[in-house]
Amino acid sequence: MSVTTDNPAPAGPSRLEGFLVNGGVVLVLLVLVVAVSAAVEPRFLNKLNLMNMGRNFAFLAIPALAQMLVMTTGGFDLSLGAVVASGSVVSALVMRSMGADLPEAGVAPVLAALAAALALGLAIGAFNGWLVARFNISAFMVTLATASAIVGVVLFQTQGIPIYGVSEGFIDLIGRGRIGPVPYVALIALALVALGIVMQRGTRFGRHIYAVGSDARAALLSGVPRAKVLIATYALAGALAGVTGFLMTARLGSGQGTIAETLAMQTIAAAVIGGVSLRGGVARAELVALAALFLTVMANAMNLMRIDSKFQTLVLGLVLLGALALERLVLREKTE
Amino acid sequence: MTDVMTRRSAPALADRLKPFSLPLGIVALLLVFALIEPRVISGANLRNIALQTSFLAIFAAAQCVVLLTRGFDLSLGVTVSLVSVGAGMAMTSAGVAAGLAAGCGIALAVGLFNGLLIGAIGINAFVATLGTSYVVMALASTLSGGFPVAPLPPAFNAIFAQGSLFGIRAAIWVALIVLLAIGLMLRFTTLGRRLYLVGASARAATAAGIRPAAVLIAAYAICGLLAGIGALLLTARTGSGEPNLGGNLTLESIAAAVVGGAKLTGGEGGISSALLGALFITVLSNGMNLVQVDGYIQQVFLGAIIVLSLILGRDGARR
Repeated sequence: MSVTTDNPAPAGPSRLEGFLVNGGVVLVLLVLVVAVSAAVEPRFLNKLNLMNMGRNFAFLAIPALAQMLVMTTGGFDLSLGAVVASGSVVSALVMRSMGADLPEAGVAPVLAALAAALALGLAIGAFNGWLVARFNISAFMVTLATASAIVGVVLFQTQGIPIYGVSEGFIDLIGRGRIGPVPYVALIALALVALGIVMQRGTRFGRHIYAVGSDARAALLSGVPRAKVLIATYALAGALAGVTGFLMTARLGSGQGTIAETLAMQTIAAAVIGGVSLRGGVARAELVALAALFLTVMANAMNLMRIDSKFQTLVLGLVLLGALALERLVLREKTE
Repeated sequence: MTDVMTRRSAPALADRLKPFSLPLGIVALLLVFALIEPRVISGANLRNIALQTSFLAIFAAAQCVVLLTRGFDLSLGVTVSLVSVGAGMAMTSAGVAAGLAAGCGIALAVGLFNGLLIGAIGINAFVATLGTSYVVMALASTLSGGFPVAPLPPAFNAIFAQGSLFGIRAAIWVALIVLLAIGLMLRFTTLGRRLYLVGASARAATAAGIRPAAVLIAAYAICGLLAGIGALLLTARTGSGEPNLGGNLTLESIAAAVVGGAKLTGGEGGISSALLGALFITVLSNGMNLVQVDGYIQQVFLGAIIVLSLILGRDGARR
């Protein structure tokens, strides 16, 4: 506990804490990384690069919302990356089997693929939630194990080979489509973030998620159906991950079982940087979205500066640990 | 502190039968595989199982030590990779002894880093070791440039992989010594009892004048060191420093520990958990290999086994 002596909290815990809780850190980080990148790398503000960032933002923000929901209940979902991969593979398989690449196929295979990815994500999520709620076992362990199982099935099915035969129209519209400079997928992500905010603030389900995460016993006593809320939350998270897989398939032009290998950790990083508490009960969708934007911009800037991907993993790990340490050191007064 | 121990040694009837269920399960599993593929119970394969078990038992013991404190080490697999690469590089330039020292030093450093994050700063163990695992993974692949470090000095392989004493392989000896040492440490030393106490109740430990932070740091340091020892043995066996050596080891070590009966709620489990759990997982994967179950499908079984043992071994009182 000697480390507490050099933490900045005692100087002004309430103000600093307020700033942190209200997303000050995320904003400062975001502005900083944008300013530095724009100054150092002129291509950063290039229109194509901005659109690229918009898409990458979507592919992180949507699963980060999913992670946020689960973390609000006091859990974790380590299987999100695996669900994204399975969503991508199942989307492509459905489209291929319905002959989506034939000119006369129309929109039906695409809708069927979306439905399949949604249903698969929903089912896996509900299973995770059921295991956590029914048996009271650690969400972290449950989802670690299901992630291993899902990845096993996906790689067995694909043997690591991309699945082609997805609809060209699908790639054009969802993968490349945009309104002005804003890609569709970014708009979809923003819409989901808005829905998340509304759900968190304005719906009974949203309040139930907070209640289960803040104090499970109190929630139970006050009539919140804990098991149902948990299952619904994990199912919703799974569905969001399934949709992410579907959208990524449009971008990649094929179903891939090896995408999103580090996604679970990126989403946890986004959630933690966005101020979601690891003990549950504290989360704001808009801050998680800002944090996802920050991570996206940072990754993009490092790519532009030709920083090795291994080094990027290192930076991501350090950013996550830094955010966790900051949360603990600054908010310790409040939580202990 | 002895209270905790005595209470645990007088369990209910169901719990008293439990110790026998896993050994019986292992024998049953072995027989089922033998019915499909008789080679499973050949002398050569049983010796192979013993050898495989000794590696996994060391990693499971590492996991058990931190599980006792309600912790967890997700960075174990990548630590194995980093140690393999680091020790390999030290060995090729400065000899076997330097390699062993470098390997143990790296492992201890990663363990201490985790311990500081979890014990001193108070970060949740799952997420802290998840973060560490990405840092360590990046270091392992950067250090090696993605390529195996080879050739290693022949003496290393000759002693730690091929070497044997009284007909028993070096790796098995090392595993026995390590398990015995950890077992004695847990049972008879102050640190051992403190590990149980901190896991059972950090508040009670604090009230008893124990600093949980110091105990946690020690736990992760031991965990790291054990991962390092296992990594050195595996490196001797493959004969090169491998940046992907750790692969599935995090999951397998956790599976072995929880199958063996270590509880995620801390304060329970010991060295027999590690040994029996490792034996079970090894028999399972060895059997699946021999009856030619696809490697990816084996991953599904591993996941299912973890969930099943969590359900069977759960502590109903905890969320």
